[in-house]
Amino acid sequence: MSAVIKESAQADQPLVSLRNLNKYYGDFAAVDNISLDIKEGEFLTFLGSSGSGKSTTLSMLAGFETPTSGEIQVEGKSLIKVPPHKRDIGMVFQRYSLFPHLSVRDNIAFPLTLRKLQTAERERQVDAMLKLVQLDDFAHRRPAQLSGGQQQRVAIARALVYEPRILLMDEPLGALDKKLREELQDELRHLHRRLGITIVYVTHDQEEAMRLSQRIAIFSHGKIVGLGSGYDLYQNPPNAFVAAFLGNSNFLRVKAQGDAAAQFESQSLAMRPTAGLQAAQDLLLMVRPEKAQALTSQQAMQEPLAAGWNEIGATVNEVVFLGESLTYNVVTAGGTSLTVKALSGNLLPLQAGAEVRVRWAAADACVYSEWSESDLSKTAGAH
Amino acid sequence: MLLTPNAMGPRLRIGLYLTTGLIALFLLLPIVFIVLLSFGSSQWLVFPPPGWTLKWYEQFFANPEWMASVLTSLKVAVLTTLCAVALGLPTAFALVRGRFPGRELLYALFTLPMIVPLVIIAVAVYALFLKLGYTGTLFSFVVSHVIVALPFTIISIINSLKLFDQSIEDAAVICGASRMQAVYKVTFPAIRPGMVAGALFAFLVSWDEVVLSVMMASPTLQTLPVKMWTTLRQDLTPVIAVASTLLIGLSVLIMVIAAALRRRNEVSA
Amino acid sequence: MTTAQSSQSTHVAGAAPRAAGMASSSTAQRWRGFSNLLPALLFLGLFFLAPLIGLLMRGVLEPSLGLGNYEQLFANSAYTRVLLNTFSVAGLVTVISLLLGFPLAWAITLVPRGWGRWLLNIVLLSMWTSLLARTYSWLVLLQASGVINKTLMAMGIIDQPLEMVHNLTGVVIGMSYIMIPFIVLPLQATMQAIDPMVLQAGAICGASPWRNFFRVFLPLCRPGLFSGGLMVFVMSLGYYVTPALLGGAQNMMLPEFIIQQVQSFLNWGIASAAAALLIGITLVLLYFYLKLQPESPVGASNAR
Repeated sequence: MSAVIKESAQADQPLVSLRNLNKYYGDFAAVDNISLDIKEGEFLTFLGSSGSGKSTTLSMLAGFETPTSGEIQVEGKSLIKVPPHKRDIGMVFQRYSLFPHLSVRDNIAFPLTLRKLQTAERERQVDAMLKLVQLDDFAHRRPAQLSGGQQQRVAIARALVYEPRILLMDEPLGALDKKLREELQDELRHLHRRLGITIVYVTHDQEEAMRLSQRIAIFSHGKIVGLGSGYDLYQNPPNAFVAAFLGNSNFLRVKAQGDAAAQFESQSLAMRPTAGLQAAQDLLLMVRPEKAQALTSQQAMQEPLAAGWNEIGATVNEVVFLGESLTYNVVTAGGTSLTVKALSGNLLPLQAGAEVRVRWAAADACVYSEWSESDLSKTAGAH
Repeated sequence: MLLTPNAMGPRLRIGLYLTTGLIALFLLLPIVFIVLLSFGSSQWLVFPPPGWTLKWYEQFFANPEWMASVLTSLKVAVLTTLCAVALGLPTAFALVRGRFPGRELLYALFTLPMIVPLVIIAVAVYALFLKLGYTGTLFSFVVSHVIVALPFTIISIINSLKLFDQSIEDAAVICGASRMQAVYKVTFPAIRPGMVAGALFAFLVSWDEVVLSVMMASPTLQTLPVKMWTTLRQDLTPVIAVASTLLIGLSVLIMVIAAALRRRNEVSA
Repeated sequence: MTTAQSSQSTHVAGAAPRAAGMASSSTAQRWRGFSNLLPALLFLGLFFLAPLIGLLMRGVLEPSLGLGNYEQLFANSAYTRVLLNTFSVAGLVTVISLLLGFPLAWAITLVPRGWGRWLLNIVLLSMWTSLLARTYSWLVLLQASGVINKTLMAMGIIDQPLEMVHNLTGVVIGMSYIMIPFIVLPLQATMQAIDPMVLQAGAICGASPWRNFFRVFLPLCRPGLFSGGLMVFVMSLGYYVTPALLGGAQNMMLPEFIIQQVQSFLNWGIASAAAALLIGITLVLLYFYLKLQPESPVGASNAR
């Protein structure tokens, strides 16, 4: 009986846990009271704009920065007093940071040499790594003779060769062009699945974060403002900042009318039932552009409004054709600007100046009762 | 058009090239002249020489005083190089990596010996060693040469250290190397061109140094330039041309090494 | 980084009383790496700064406390002659080396890369070749029975050998020769950074080649000309070897004067005053040099 409890407790225990972590530079809080658990074997991404504290947090994990206060634990043991070279963490740096005077093989062998492995064993492991990253043919080249993608593979091999339990990656693909980046992202995902290693990845590219990670931690002003799977964070952003930061979003300023309805520009809208609202309280509704539909007046008459849906009138301001999709920029009578995204299909696009009815399901709109105006702009997040 | 030869107009272009050729010859003239003279047979430095000979070289190498001065020069230059690198390396690290206040000012202080006229450094250091009774010792030569060689060493190490991406050192640390191990195994090899260039500069500065050496020298302890200097003030014997040729030869050699290093560095970078 | 960490880990026992370790860790952070500076700082302080200050003090302490040495320096006509010599030679050398360095720098920028590299190598060779060797060579070249006099006489330009050594003529020739590289390197860097299209634009706007040269090209070169010229002037003021060998006993320059006062007359007071004057002028000019730097596109970082 007690054994069962103990076992389940162990399974719940995170591999890495950050507790009330702070990093101050003078009065400036680069990392502001962060607490986070990282599970064994997961691919977790720190996503945020530059200066949001994501890299500083990674640096503290690696041991290059000392936290001003707070605790970092791996399997319940504190890492604070462990110098970086004894943490047994792997890390891949932004600019690869290969040793320029060593060949590819010697770069990968470097951590093993430090660990005083026997030559035969070392060679075997290096060979295995070279094979894993498909660089067998380049073993004797110097880093300067490799392409960016190859250099990054060497950096990954060097970080993995001593089998660390945690691999940190600091914007490792930032310097590569888009196509190569996507290729390496796929490779990285497969590698993670194959090796089962815990990866903490830092990036400012949300598409990359979505593509790679099981969980994403969104950083802003030194805090984690959103944590969850890419799907959850996108579909149900925990706050207006995350909603604005991830993908595109429409914000409607409304006033609460009970807990499932709100008033928008002298019109009543249905919304998700939300507890604890006061009458006439200011609220923010967020609708993703692809969840909204734009219909002509005739279409609207032909298709009656389904239950649980909202409809508002607007005028088309601009139509942008993007290949597989179309976006309409429309403006309501009250001057609120909205974006509606539709698959191009075989419908004739609406013309600028046309009157449209914009519809969305009340369940698809998120409701926020607290936000700051700066959250709503795309560029927020950095100090 | 003034920077594109084809659009320049033939008269201006030919005029400029001709002037340049003459100035380049002017720059080469004394160097070539002295080398030729060292092989000329005329005691009175007649040019063109009536015949060619190696007798001045024989005289130079057979003369124990000249040989002693060459040996002293080499000793001083090697010791100066070692000291300048030993002092310059940690200094460069501190100035590039350190985060303490007043770094700009300290950098200016370390380059000050390049700016203060040599004569003044020479007189000041001479006064000190006179008081301490150290004039005419190897120590006084090396110390005074290190003062003027140090800025060159520091600057060239700083330049290569600034180009070195510190995250490479961090990478070594995360791989399991202590900070010291990382510096020795990764940073030093990476900045070696700068260290070698700094050492070459220090050697060359010491090898060619005249003013300080003249002040530090004693009749029994002289570097090659000092020996040349004192001989020169008596007569213009062709043996000095031999000494000059050797000085020039070493300078050229060091320049070629430095250029080769730079090229190799460019290729690998 | 490691020092900061170890100092913190020794101060901080648990997780709670971390605040105690913070102050000392931030001081350690602030002076991080300073200890590496100490050996060189100690060396320079002991063997360079202290003697330098000691020397400058002697000017007001010897033979008696006061500014007597400085008064003498400006009152004694023999001494003012030395000052005059120093400044006129330095000025003349600066002008001549600018005139000779300009076309060379221009040509290096202009000619195909291979040739430019060769010209630059000649400049570097001349710069790094032993100063003493080159000065000795000029001594032989310029003497009454030297190649230059003989050639000029053979060509019938002169009847009697010109006196070109042991006077200021020799000093100016030798020093100008030595200073050319210090003009060419910064100036060439400045010219390299000029966009040739700007000059083409000048021409298209209707400027004649002459106007283009004086109104566009020369002003663009000005940062290089200024920094090179200033550098050469400063260096010329403090040169000893070339004036001592090519100059005459009666036409002394400041550096020779200082050495002579110290070695022959043991008059440290006047030598110190002269040294202070030289340092003062050097530092003032250097201040202007540094002021000019930000305006120049590349600076004279390669001038030594």
